Amino acid sequence: MHKRIILFTLLVTGFILHTSMFASEKAQINKAAPDFILTDSHGKTHSLSQYKGKIVVLEWVNFGCPFVRKHYNGKNMQALQQKYTSEDIVWLSICSSAPGKQGYYRSNDELNKKLAEEGHEASAYLIDASGDVGRMYDAKTTPHMYIINKEGILVYDGAIDDKPSAKLEDLKEADNYVSNKLDILIAGKEVDPETTNPYGCGIKY
Amino acid sequence: MFINLKNFFVFSAIFLISVNLFAAESEPQRSENVEAQLVTDVMSIMPGTKINMALRLKMDRGWHTYWLNPGDSGLPTEIQWTLPDGFSSSEINWPLPEKIDTPPLVTYGYHDEIYLFSTIAVPADLKAGNTITIAARVDWLECEEVCIPGGVDLKIDLPVKENAPVPDEQWSKIFADARTKLPLESSEWKFAVSAKDSTLQLQGVAPDWFDSTTGKVIFFPYEYGVIEYSKAQKSSFKDGVLKLEMPMASGAEKAPQVIEGILVSDKGWRGPNSEKAHYINVKTGMQLDAMPKTNSSSVDGILLALVFSFLGGIILNLMPCVLPVLSLKILGFVQQANEDKSQAWKHGAVFTLGVLISFWVLAGSLLALRAGGEQLGWGFQLQEPAFLIILSAFLFLFGLSMFGVFEIGTSLTTIEGKTGRKSGWVGSFVSGVTATVVATPCTAPFMGSALGYALTQPAWASMLIFTFLGLGMAFPYVLLASMPSLLKFVPKPGRWMESMKQFMGFLLVATVLWLLWVLAQQAGAMMVILVLASLLILSIAGWIYGRWGNLAMPAKTRMTSTIVATVITVLTLFFTLKSIDTFAAVPQSGESISKSEGINWQPYSDQLVSELRESGQPLFIDFTAAWCLSCQVNERVAFSSKDVQNKFTELGITPVKADWTSRDENITRALASYGRNSVPLYVYYPAGKESAPVLLPELITPGIVLETFKKNGSKTISVK
Repeated sequence: MHKRIILFTLLVTGFILHTSMFASEKAQINKAAPDFILTDSHGKTHSLSQYKGKIVVLEWVNFGCPFVRKHYNGKNMQALQQKYTSEDIVWLSICSSAPGKQGYYRSNDELNKKLAEEGHEASAYLIDASGDVGRMYDAKTTPHMYIINKEGILVYDGAIDDKPSAKLEDLKEADNYVSNKLDILIAGKEVDPETTNPYGCGIKY
Repeated sequence: MFINLKNFFVFSAIFLISVNLFAAESEPQRSENVEAQLVTDVMSIMPGTKINMALRLKMDRGWHTYWLNPGDSGLPTEIQWTLPDGFSSSEINWPLPEKIDTPPLVTYGYHDEIYLFSTIAVPADLKAGNTITIAARVDWLECEEVCIPGGVDLKIDLPVKENAPVPDEQWSKIFADARTKLPLESSEWKFAVSAKDSTLQLQGVAPDWFDSTTGKVIFFPYEYGVIEYSKAQKSSFKDGVLKLEMPMASGAEKAPQVIEGILVSDKGWRGPNSEKAHYINVKTGMQLDAMPKTNSSSVDGILLALVFSFLGGIILNLMPCVLPVLSLKILGFVQQANEDKSQAWKHGAVFTLGVLISFWVLAGSLLALRAGGEQLGWGFQLQEPAFLIILSAFLFLFGLSMFGVFEIGTSLTTIEGKTGRKSGWVGSFVSGVTATVVATPCTAPFMGSALGYALTQPAWASMLIFTFLGLGMAFPYVLLASMPSLLKFVPKPGRWMESMKQFMGFLLVATVLWLLWVLAQQAGAMMVILVLASLLILSIAGWIYGRWGNLAMPAKTRMTSTIVATVITVLTLFFTLKSIDTFAAVPQSGESISKSEGINWQPYSDQLVSELRESGQPLFIDFTAAWCLSCQVNERVAFSSKDVQNKFTELGITPVKADWTSRDENITRALASYGRNSVPLYVYYPAGKESAPVLLPELITPGIVLETFKKNGSKTISVK
């Protein structure tokens, strides 16, 4: 009987510790971006800390979402990925769709076929089916963009551009917040930390 | 109700098509999951006026579209008008949204059917006799779990006519209903917001005439980055002051300078069943003088309640389960005190303490429950139909038990035997507690009534009421313990007790009658019939329990009957409460005429108005309809005010009521003569033959009415 009580207490304490540790690891603008470890579409693990000293872009993605479609059908996202990965920037696409929900792929083969079809040019496509990393970064929409500077500080959290729509024709006129910030960082200058209102489909946690 | 409306609608649509090529609505168009249509409430347009145009969106089951601030994800619906030269359109006036919870995200949008209103201004130099086309490209994002962009092109043709447009009756009614979902632009509520740590604290002070509760309140911001959408907001309403705490958006380092958005109240900002949304735009950091309204519970009322609780407490002792205990108990005291007679009253006092503490515990838990209820948004108020229904059912069942249909708590009284044997001070105290506990089955009905009253009072008053109930109950013990010679006057248990019990049953039924009368006032006859029907079913449940659930039956039978009776009771109450919204009627306009007492409304006729105009008497016309919710609320709020009623008498204003509930050509024409085609409309003609009519805003309060009288020549008629 006593053993059970002790076990129960331990479990409860453990749970509280666990959740409070997670709670303290929430991403905040102008603070160190919390580390995470995720597996990519080829089964390779990536951690944020392994890219310390490089500029990192996080892109939340769900290929079924019409807002993501706008940026991929218009070849906008692939162009950004190609341009900035060639500038030694790490571009991580992350999908937090839960198993069975839109954007989730049952097998890596299926997923890699899709990535080839889309012409995906990012450094890696990471799978966050539990949604833990999404929640850690308070990722809300697809797309939802984050920029982490060389010092590991989160300097941008928000929308990809200033045209919240799913219309392809809006791409031409749009002012791309992410490339604005990245160009400043590449030039070796500091950017003002900023958050904007992300737009898109809700992430299918 | 809904089906009737629909049939009526289909019928009249056929009728309209057969007599008029123009309709007040566009052809509906569909995206994958949403049907869209442009709708107006007029059959033609008149140069130099404004028309109400609504985009009707009908979402398929499970699908939603978004509000102007979609929340964590989504897109607001957009309308791009293509209008003839000289026309202009307003922004969308958005009805209140729902909070759509998909953890960890929260979005703001609409399920089912909504009307997004815009105003279209018609240029004055437009030629009559033509037909103009108003077209719109409408785009939205429709989401269930996945999202799909949707959009359609809509157009509506309307003839231009020189004279005032004929209103479209059906759409007028639907518009009147849909408009109640639009936020109140202004009222006499005062709001202020201040920031503390990472919380925004909103405070609202209710106007004097507000005698209801707001229920649960939620803030929907217009802008991103003000509050954290997914975190809970805490609201409370007490003594005329609303408090709402909202967590600031994470990452926001300081509070935004201005808070703009809508506040949505569960109950309504102008009393029960009134407009639920209120627009606010306030600077942060301002403080309001928290001026709680003087408590509506007058001291006199409470004194009276205390006297009754004391008497009620004494009467509790006559209840059949208590009386037999009473004489035994007192004999016990007397015996104990025999050694030292001066100790007897001390035992009585300790006994009283036991009773009082039990009552306080009871009252305390009820108050805690009430506080919890306020947090959750249910108010224990007599103006709450659900509360009335539950109380009636409760009292009715106890009444049945008194008649002997079934017995409650037959086993409880036996506790007495086990615990009543202790002696000394502790013994007296425990006796006090057990006497209260033991008496519970019999006292419950009386407690029920007291409880009903106490719960509508502030905490201190409820506490006092329960204290007096306890004092009353302990009083005979103390009295008899101090003067044992009085014992010979205590009636002996016997047949009279049964009679007494049955008689009490009638009193309970009478109480139910009173409760239903109150309910009839609020929710109409249909609701009362429904409740009576459910009482009938409850009585059957009681009978089943009494017939097969009594101790003489085998255990299995008892068990089955208890389950059956409980299931019937729960289901009946559940369905009754669920159908409040369907059956509760908005009071008919006929009723409201008699209800706004103090104002003697004259039915509208052209003749009456022209006579009054010729004589130069001041005149107030109320254009209203039973199906117009804002009209009903306006009447309840503005015309029930004593100040307004007195002003009508003082200024000698003739009140005229134009009831547009059923089609009335005269009233339609009269409305058109003021450039309107919908109700509510309030028109005031100040004294004097040549006085120009003053149109009041659509939503009125006592303040607005009095101000109109004051501004527009408040000459009394006798001055002339």
